Amino acid sequence: MEHLSYSTRTAFHSLMKEKWINLLSSLTVAASLLVSAMAIITIFNLENFTRTLPERFTMVVYLQDSVSPEDTQKLIGQLKNKDYVSGTKYISRDQALNEMKRTLKDVSNVLEGLDENPLSSSIELKLKKESVTAPAVKKISEELKKMPSVGDVYYEAKIAETVYLLKTSIENMSIIILCIISFVVLFVISSTVKILLYRRKTEIEIIKLLGATGGFIRAPFLIEGGVIGFFGGIFASIGATVFYYSLTTSFSAFMPILKTMVLPVEIVVLLPIAGLVMGVIGSLISVGRLRL
Amino acid sequence: MISFQNATKYYENKPVLKNIDLSVSKGEMVFLTGPTGAGKSTLLKLLYASELPDEGEVTVGDFNIGRLRPAEIPLLRRSIGVVFQDFKLLENLTVYDNIALALRVRGRKEKDIKGLVLEILKNVHLRHKSDNYPLTLSGGEQQRVVIARAMVSEPSVLLADEPTGNLDPDTSKHVARLFYEANIHGTTILIATHNREMYKNTGKRVVRLENGVLLGEEIG
Ligand SMILES: Nc1ncnc2c1ncn2[C@@H]1O[C@H](COP(=O)(O)OP(=O)(O)OP(=O)(O)O)[C@@H](O)[C@H]1O
Ligand SMILES: [Mg+2]
Repeated sequence: MEHLSYSTRTAFHSLMKEKWINLLSSLTVAASLLVSAMAIITIFNLENFTRTLPERFTMVVYLQDSVSPEDTQKLIGQLKNKDYVSGTKYISRDQALNEMKRTLKDVSNVLEGLDENPLSSSIELKLKKESVTAPAVKKISEELKKMPSVGDVYYEAKIAETVYLLKTSIENMSIIILCIISFVVLFVISSTVKILLYRRKTEIEIIKLLGATGGFIRAPFLIEGGVIGFFGGIFASIGATVFYYSLTTSFSAFMPILKTMVLPVEIVVLLPIAGLVMGVIGSLISVGRLRL
Repeated sequence: MISFQNATKYYENKPVLKNIDLSVSKGEMVFLTGPTGAGKSTLLKLLYASELPDEGEVTVGDFNIGRLRPAEIPLLRRSIGVVFQDFKLLENLTVYDNIALALRVRGRKEKDIKGLVLEILKNVHLRHKSDNYPLTLSGGEQQRVVIARAMVSEPSVLLADEPTGNLDPDTSKHVARLFYEANIHGTTILIATHNREMYKNTGKRVVRLENGVLLGEEIG
């Protein structure tokens, strides 16, 4: 700790002296972090979006025409007891017909001459979130079809499939992107520090002859790598904010869904910290190999 | 304190030091002389482990130079102050910081460093150059900065390679006096020099080296 202020001064001296290399490397780090920030923002919003999808998902259980009111009540009771069901709504065939008449009001002649109600009574099921996956929904619908009184089961297969696909691919993608970006950032910073080490080779030789330990020699480089990474993170935070506002303001005119996008505040704070940590680690990779 | 036993050093298969036997006891002051290319600098480099002996044994205090563990090298060097023949000042540090560096690598506290550096600067008559950068100094001034850096930590061993090479006779005398003072306070000193004035009538041992061979010694 004693030589910390000396290390800091040395680090900042070198940061200023090699400002172009350092700025370039900071900007490269910023670009990499920005890509990951954009990926995270996209992933975060897709996640948000897919989270609301299960709520929109309904499964409709059509009853056989002959079912008595008591059997209907019994079926509703059974359905309510299923652990994957979060809500039920009974729609009688008369209600269904009224609903249809209302929606087809302007073209009511379609229904003229209809002396018998052609519709079936139905029960709309809302499923618990975790059950809205393609395989689970398929299994549930098959199970329901086998129940007495049930005529047919209908659901929008695409929604369930989309939710499932989006979820797994988003997770895989985010892991891949974060791995690549971490690797890039570590590589950029360790290469920069390698250049800095090379430029200060004679200086390091002299300091070694004066009796400096490895820690004394390495400390300024670790600080320098950390600062480069930290500023990369700050630039990336600024970039991410600009990216977010331009999406939600300018581009939302073309794609209204962009208006609902959310900028996770954590990311603005986390980017500089991530930059700092990766900067120190990247620098350690180069400086650790230093023969002392 | 310092001992060479049958030490030999090769550069590219040519011996530059041959079967050196020499010992300097604690608190002694010894001069090393000889023509250019004799191997004086190389002999000193062995002592601060900048070069390693190829044969024989070299020891400084408790350190056996041929068998140092990597972690011991900084410890050895911190027990020694070196006046390098080629100065080895850091161009991007001021005179003050160059000298302070010798204390910083030894983990000394900043508040002690200031007093020590300013005092040694006064001793080498460079108090007014403390904020200058080495390249703005004359050769003689740079040499005195190197001497100050070697002495500021009050090491138990002081090695000086041609410490008066760039100094006029008066300044040389002054620098010689600084070495004698350090020696009186117990520092073991080995000085490589062509400058006869430095050891004349001192009563100290003067060791003569020629072509990598010790040719014996006399009293100065
Ligand atoms: N790194 C090296 N590689 C090869 N040969 C070297 C190296 N360093 C020194 N030598 C050779 O070793 C011999 C001794 O050199 P050294 O520097 O020890 O001489 P010196 O006595 O200090 O001379 P001077 O009085 O000029 O300083 C010289 O012949 C020199 O050319
Ligand atoms: Mg020499």
